[in-house]
Amino acid sequence: MHVDPHLLTGRFVPIRSVVAAVLSLVSGGLAAQAPSAPLFETEIAPILEERCVACHGEDSPQAGLDVSSKQSLLAGGVSGPALIPSAPLESLVLQKTASGAMPMGGQKLTPGEIDLIRHWIESGALSRSDDEVSAVAGRADHANPREVLVTTLYVKCLLCHGRRRQEGGLDLRTREAALKGGVSGPAIVPGEPDRSLLIRRIVAEEMPPEEHQARLSYRPVTSDELDSLRRWISQGAHWDDETPANVDPAADPKVASEDREFWAFQSPTRPTLPSVNDRSRVRQPIDQFLLAKLEERDLTFAPVAERLALMRRAYFDVTGLPPSPEEVESYLADNRPDAYERLVVRLLESDRYGEHWGRRWLDAAGYADSEGQVDFDAVRPHAWRYRDWVIRALNADKPYDEFLMEQIAGDEMSDFKAASQPLDDEDSDRLVATGFLRMGPDGTYSVSQGFVAERMTVVADQLQILTSTVMGLTVACARCHDHKYDPIPTRDYYRMSAILRSSYDPYDWLSPNEADIGPDADWNESNSRLLPGAPRSEVGEAAQYNEPIEAEANRIAAELAALPATLRKKLLDEKVPGLPNEVLVPAGKLLTDAAVEQLADAPVEDSELDPAEVSKANALLDSFVKTKQRLRTRPLVRALFDMGGEPTPVHILYRGEHRSPGPPVAPGVLSVLSDGLEPYDLQPLPWSSGRRLALAKWLVQPNHPLTARVMVNRVWQHYFSRGIVQTVGNFGRTGSPPSHPELLDWLAVEFVERGWSLKSLHRLILTSTAYRQSSRSDGARQQRDLDNVLLSRFPMRRLDADAIRDSVLKASQRLDLEPFGPADEIEVMPDGEVVVKDTERGQRRSIFVQQRRSKPVTLLESFDAPQLKPNCLQRTKSTVASQALQMMNSEMLRANSRYLAGRVIDYVGDDATSQVERVYLTALSRPPSVEERTSGASTLAKMRDAWRRELDERTPMEPKRMKADWLALATFCHTVLNSAEFLYVD
Amino acid sequence: MKTRSPSAMRAARQKPRAVSSRRDFFGRVSDGLHGAALATLFGQDLLSPRSAAAATGARSVYDLTVREPHFEPKAKSVIQFFMNGGPSQVDLFDPKPALAKYEGQPPGRDLANDIEFINEAGGFMPSPYSFAKHGQSGMEVSEILPHLSEQVDDIAFIRSMYTTHFNHEPAIFIMQGGRQFSNRPTIGSWIVYGLGSENQNLPAYVVLDDPKGLPVNHLQNWQAGWLPPVYQGTRVRSEGAPLLNLNPAEEYPSPVLDLARSLLARMDRSHRDARPAQPELEARLMNYELAARMQMEASDALDVSQESESTRDMYGLNDERTSSYGKRCLMARRLVERGVRLVQIYIEGQIWDNHSDLDKSLRYACGKTDQPISALIRDLKQTGLFEQTLLVWGGEFGRLPLAQSRESGVAGRDHGPTGFTAWLAGAGVKGGTIHGATDEIGYRAVENRVSVHDLHATILHQLGMNHRELVYSHDGRDERLTDEFPARVVREVLKS
Repeated sequence: MHVDPHLLTGRFVPIRSVVAAVLSLVSGGLAAQAPSAPLFETEIAPILEERCVACHGEDSPQAGLDVSSKQSLLAGGVSGPALIPSAPLESLVLQKTASGAMPMGGQKLTPGEIDLIRHWIESGALSRSDDEVSAVAGRADHANPREVLVTTLYVKCLLCHGRRRQEGGLDLRTREAALKGGVSGPAIVPGEPDRSLLIRRIVAEEMPPEEHQARLSYRPVTSDELDSLRRWISQGAHWDDETPANVDPAADPKVASEDREFWAFQSPTRPTLPSVNDRSRVRQPIDQFLLAKLEERDLTFAPVAERLALMRRAYFDVTGLPPSPEEVESYLADNRPDAYERLVVRLLESDRYGEHWGRRWLDAAGYADSEGQVDFDAVRPHAWRYRDWVIRALNADKPYDEFLMEQIAGDEMSDFKAASQPLDDEDSDRLVATGFLRMGPDGTYSVSQGFVAERMTVVADQLQILTSTVMGLTVACARCHDHKYDPIPTRDYYRMSAILRSSYDPYDWLSPNEADIGPDADWNESNSRLLPGAPRSEVGEAAQYNEPIEAEANRIAAELAALPATLRKKLLDEKVPGLPNEVLVPAGKLLTDAAVEQLADAPVEDSELDPAEVSKANALLDSFVKTKQRLRTRPLVRALFDMGGEPTPVHILYRGEHRSPGPPVAPGVLSVLSDGLEPYDLQPLPWSSGRRLALAKWLVQPNHPLTARVMVNRVWQHYFSRGIVQTVGNFGRTGSPPSHPELLDWLAVEFVERGWSLKSLHRLILTSTAYRQSSRSDGARQQRDLDNVLLSRFPMRRLDADAIRDSVLKASQRLDLEPFGPADEIEVMPDGEVVVKDTERGQRRSIFVQQRRSKPVTLLESFDAPQLKPNCLQRTKSTVASQALQMMNSEMLRANSRYLAGRVIDYVGDDATSQVERVYLTALSRPPSVEERTSGASTLAKMRDAWRRELDERTPMEPKRMKADWLALATFCHTVLNSAEFLYVD
Repeated sequence: MKTRSPSAMRAARQKPRAVSSRRDFFGRVSDGLHGAALATLFGQDLLSPRSAAAATGARSVYDLTVREPHFEPKAKSVIQFFMNGGPSQVDLFDPKPALAKYEGQPPGRDLANDIEFINEAGGFMPSPYSFAKHGQSGMEVSEILPHLSEQVDDIAFIRSMYTTHFNHEPAIFIMQGGRQFSNRPTIGSWIVYGLGSENQNLPAYVVLDDPKGLPVNHLQNWQAGWLPPVYQGTRVRSEGAPLLNLNPAEEYPSPVLDLARSLLARMDRSHRDARPAQPELEARLMNYELAARMQMEASDALDVSQESESTRDMYGLNDERTSSYGKRCLMARRLVERGVRLVQIYIEGQIWDNHSDLDKSLRYACGKTDQPISALIRDLKQTGLFEQTLLVWGGEFGRLPLAQSRESGVAGRDHGPTGFTAWLAGAGVKGGTIHGATDEIGYRAVENRVSVHDLHATILHQLGMNHRELVYSHDGRDERLTDEFPARVVREVLKS
């Protein structure tokens, strides 16, 4: 049980005594360890010889891997090194054998053999030729330049000596610049580590600077890293001279041409319409495709849905809200033959459309009003601008190609940095749109979770959002290994990652949020992802509002600063630490000066101070805080933008590990998507790298195999509960094949030809026979189309979470339709329930409620509002009893039932039958049947009696009879809001 | 074709004995629809995501019915004491007298890489506590765990645990779900996914959280991730209403309630009858039947007042310091007794996160938990449940042998991921065993290192499951709790 000396060596200990300590501890340690450590030749080679060498020998190294020597294991194959000494979990030779993935087809290794391999790697992966020192280091003598650069220099130096900053004039990104050095001279003298300033400053523990380590999330250079740096300099300090390989789809060893023939990788073409027997059921070409398949099974569409059922369905599908009683009545009164078509037009023109469909896009984008990931879950105060952009874009029917272009590369479409601030609306809008790629979970503002590994995960999440949402592919698997089922090599994953790295550089990271990074944090605009890019009108308004408050705050600040030092110290010690984050820093700065710093560390004794002065100082600070808190947040935009300068090179990372770099890659797209497409064409712009603009242009080519198909499929899914490709985020080989491939292609082509108009696509679907049919099933339909894949009837379904909450509010006339702006607040009740705070006007639609990743609104959560880790393309629909508990017992439902009862009485007065009618019309969007009216009225009458008896035993403030009748109706309303009919759409 | 949908078949199979039909339920159950819908609790997703099943070709139904393990299990149930914060191994289970030699010496560059609050790091700090040998095994335990010390012969210490992140959130995700990603299923959901539950009237996976505060990562500690939601843990409160919205703030008078209930039954029945072959509607109705059964059984299971005074005393229910944790420990016994598969007991936020004032904060945490845990072991032994219940104790990491302060007197310790202690007891565990070791200063696990995946594999193994074979197909990939990590069962702490 020896101690690794590098753990003990204190700071600033002279180097000679360190060596002495190392020697004294190492000799004992090694001697004790050596006898038990297995050796490659004696213990490991026999196992590999028997089980692996047939395929991974010197003569036939499958996948480039030869396991016959320790050196060849270290060199590895196409998947990277097979052995990383001392790191068993990262060593492929163990991973593959222990997981049973290897030997492929052969007999698996025994647990004993696996243990032995593990033990061997753990104890340094010794072979006979290893001397003791290199065994401890666990590394071969040769320093791999790429590894030294990527794992040490990039991680620990480039933040201050790289892309955006060159402290002391030093730039460590290229060999030339490093040899030239900075103001103190050359950083590196090749061949002479001890004369290289780089080594000397590290050894002296001056670099990387201790004072920044905590807040900028890096740590000292470890002894292993230092050893590698020394060796690397001794060996000439060569840079990784490999340049990114050019990928030519025509001759790509990673992707075969037959891979490209898979249907989803081929451009859609307009299919001919199939013939059908019953032309009378065809309203749209869509119907023809569906009917042809139905007729093959001797089925046809179900009859047209009952009129009000169809109306209610269309309202929910287009706007996410039920019709009001007045809308129901006027629709019933509309006898024109095209009343339904007119309704569809009206609904698509409603602003509620963008809110409802915006929710779906926001799910796909992983939108939330907080960062997630870290327990603190900092709020994103500016995210809502992106939410509003999406809603407005949908309402304006912005063509989908432009919709995508602006979200992926809005900042590259014009030079917003050169434009005068505040920006005009168009520039501002495009900047806001790029929020699409800033919406995933991101905890990297936390200094203990802001390391390179976590930053890489943020980039990976964004790439997953982009690829799953826009391309419908599970590209994420290729982060760690070549995709097992789809022809997506790891290389292509990192080529796509490189597209984002001009804006997300894990080695020169921008903090996503100013929260929780402590009072000493270096948070300022140059280190932020928030840009001053709000539109002119808004900036002006905020400035005007803030001006007098700023003046007031400054006045108080001056008074505070003028207090005697002892008083200020008391405030600093006792009050300041408890202040909210946003005022803590300014208050601290304001109160601190040289005089305060000269005071002793000990707290100021109360006896030294006049209590009246103390309470005055406290009050002054309180009013400073209150004034500051009144300030409106400066309008900022959570945008994606190019950070400028040459991005740090991007490497393939074996197993997604940033400490296992492979060859460098250049930005690019998936090689498998190339047939008939213009290639990814990178054109650097004067103001930006152009990487994302090139991606956006590549994606919106009219014949792109995926862009249009993926979107029409998702729209389809929202109407019919299931996509034509059921796995909406996976069009690859493991996804489900399309149920109606011709229909999918027809829709995709039609969508593009109609100018990528989503509203046009909606109209097409809404006016089809398929959409208008009844949801009632029957024996034949059950038997021949059990899961309704053929759409032999309309799929009945439960409302989604947002629609349930919004409908309850609408029914009780408490839905505040005010759109846009900062999200409405939520509140955590003592029992843990998360609810939305009421305002004078009720509550707004769920899309405008703060979406905190750690605190989902309980009602929404129980009805399957998604977790967004990182995004969601298809909400689950569970039927669990927490839903019933919510609907039955939550105060939200009970209170709104009382509101609803109040409005019904206001409208129809005391008559029970009229009340029942009105409740049905409001909550269920239909008048009650005769039987329902009679029995409802009779139940209501009994409820009145029961409440009257109950109130007779109490003394309420209100007239008993009036109160009893109101409560009875509230109970009746509550029951109706709990009914299946309220929660389900036919 | 006479095939009924899977949900309908399941509905038939799960038809309760006590309540023979839906009509019976609505007509007969008297304790009220409104208070009754306890079913959730119990996380029965009555309409499982059939589409997902069809796409993956996996199970057609995701539910909690008992499933066969891969081999003969040692444990039927697990009770996990999740010690969020990172209990200090060198002050509790892993004595390191050599630390005295290095007292006050600052850490070197390699250790500095594992320090979270690097700007607060002080020098090496020996434990202020004395350790003594206990039991026949002579295992050493700190003086601040006097009760547990009496039971060392039933416990196996793993002194060589290690993990890979030094901050709570990522380390907890690793400990609960095997990787640093926040969207993965937790070990608890894997277990009930693999085995279902012995008791359909209680949740399979119960979480007993502390009313004084949730652990870090909150509800994500028992999330099902991308497993079907039916496998997520069910949070049962030990104070007040055991479930959210179990009861309304003020219930309707019972005649009103009866009227509401029969109105709803009438509406829903006629709604369903007009829509044949809609399994969702059946499922919705079934919730209420389940709820009635569950409400009764759960209320009974959680009622610790049924226990004798001496039992209550043993768990420390009469002592303010121990009563809260003691009650949860006692509830845990009552739950596993009734066939609940997994009970996780949490305690007060991150009570083990002793960054400052080590002595005060560590004594506080030990004081609250030592007697109750010890009582639970004793009680399980008395009732014969010990041999079929696996107990797992540990946090997301341990602590550094350093002082976290450059001043003396008030120092605590910072997070230590590279070496820490966890312990197992109960079903099939070889008591009185110490496995693995940290280095001389208690910083890094150096002998027989045990990864989080090894621990997971061991827990699954005791439940009769092979971690390689417990798979769920997600996004076209066969996912496992242990992922592709080469986990091994820590057989050294097991009897066979």
